[in-house]
Amino acid sequence: MKKALAVTLGILTAFGGFVDIGDLVANALVGSRFGMSLAWVVVVGVVGICVFAEMAGRIAAVSGRPVFDLVRERLGPRTGLVNLGASLMVNVLTLAAEIGGAALALELATGVDYLLWVPAVALTAWLVMWRVKFEHMERLFGLMGLALVVFAVALWRLEPDWGGLLEQAARPSVPADEGAPTYFYYAIALLGGAMTPYEVFFFSSGGVEEHWTRKDLAVSRANVFVGFPLGGFLSLAIAACAATVFLPDAAHVDSLGQMVLPVALGAGQIGLALVIFGVFAATFGATLETALSSAYSLSQYFGWQWGKYVRPVQAARFHAALLVSMVVATALILTTLDPIKVTEYSLVFSAAALPLTYLPVLMVANDADYMGGHVNGRFSNLLGSVYMVLLVVVSAAAVPLMLATKAGQ
Amino acid sequence: MRRRPPALPATLPAALAAGLLAAASLAGCVSPAWDGRDYGLKAAASAESVASAVAVARRAVEGGDRLSTPYLKVLLTEAVTSVRSVNGQFAGVQPPDEGSDAVGEELLVLTGRAEDELAGLLLQVRRQGVEDRAGAVRELAALHEELRGFAEEHR
Repeated sequence: MKKALAVTLGILTAFGGFVDIGDLVANALVGSRFGMSLAWVVVVGVVGICVFAEMAGRIAAVSGRPVFDLVRERLGPRTGLVNLGASLMVNVLTLAAEIGGAALALELATGVDYLLWVPAVALTAWLVMWRVKFEHMERLFGLMGLALVVFAVALWRLEPDWGGLLEQAARPSVPADEGAPTYFYYAIALLGGAMTPYEVFFFSSGGVEEHWTRKDLAVSRANVFVGFPLGGFLSLAIAACAATVFLPDAAHVDSLGQMVLPVALGAGQIGLALVIFGVFAATFGATLETALSSAYSLSQYFGWQWGKYVRPVQAARFHAALLVSMVVATALILTTLDPIKVTEYSLVFSAAALPLTYLPVLMVANDADYMGGHVNGRFSNLLGSVYMVLLVVVSAAAVPLMLATKAGQ
Repeated sequence: MRRRPPALPATLPAALAAGLLAAASLAGCVSPAWDGRDYGLKAAASAESVASAVAVARRAVEGGDRLSTPYLKVLLTEAVTSVRSVNGQFAGVQPPDEGSDAVGEELLVLTGRAEDELAGLLLQVRRQGVEDRAGAVRELAALHEELRGFAEEHR
């Protein structure tokens, strides 16, 4: 009974914690411009993150070491440094976007400009990371993120043309007033949102923080294979809400306020309050995850003592890296750069950096020296290899498509 | 979890980051209008952006009590800012020929009306709420239609 409760709690946490500012922005934006014709990308992205998060969780549980710890050892310092540089850049951009997202949610609730909330969000996040235990922190914000289920409730109450939405999803095509390059640019952004690199670093480092062993593999797999697909369902609900409300008017969503409008129209003020709460929880939770991911990857690469399971004084450089990441990201968002634009760019750069993140995971999960009997099976390898080819293509196309489409304009 | 770090090359990630940031900056650039056709396309894109902001504002005003006042205020502020920004950017593009003058003027009249309507609604929300909701929805719907029509004509 106790174990079943732990599994359920883990699944709910993975479900509620799946959506972040990238998923919110990408799905709402794509839904408003392309309807459900890019829903297939969400499915591809969710399968991809499941495949690689399972491998990352297995690596952590079997070897007791997180992904980045093994990257430099397995790939060497030079390749590892390229990996570190790209990951840090994407992480800090994502962190800035998450802080901005949480501040924007507070602006929606209070009407006070988001820039005034940015320092408060950053300081609170840093205090939470400093004081709150890893497990409590992860569970609390993951469970609070479940409030975003209100997107699905609102969709039902909006009484959409279900047949039309299914038709768009089942027979994807480029809309008449959009070009193919723009369609694929947003497909890449959507994939970047679903397979954000920090998720893998956080998932595997979190496994070590929680002292996973081989016995925890079942729990890890339940989180990944049930929690993440449920999160993907939420992504589809966000896109469907935007498609229902904005597509008929050809209105393009470009702010967080607009993204939650379908919920207000479908579920009223209670729905609006819930969705703002959910957006805050999701983005604040992701702020913690991205900041920790930056510090994890940096510390693990340089071989510093890391983690929240030791006292801060024993992991001083890890906590300093955490603080610097927060300061840089906060400064970036305080320059008045639009957080939604920062998110859009971070999604594309995430997509461009995907092979750097996922190749080491595939290599280590396939290495019997590290994994022993828990090395990848044929199916995992086949799926992982197919995804690697896809990710390389996506990575090569991301920046040229961004330039060709003027960032999707 | 401790390992001794070797000497590391620091140039590659920095070059990668600089390249990506340069690419991002280039992607956001606004180019001048090369000829009448190009100017028309820019006008159509501007009309679409303003139509989008107007459509969202119409939906929000239509929503009535389902939206809280601070939230409606944020939405309308965003709409006004967005329309002002589009107006400012389009006004900065010089018409390349006489035919383009008329196109530019027609668009700026439309987007000016949109800006006034949205700013007026924002003022009402800040004071005592939207006075004539049905009238405002009708006006925004009409503006949206006109802007869409303009965009279709010049695309």
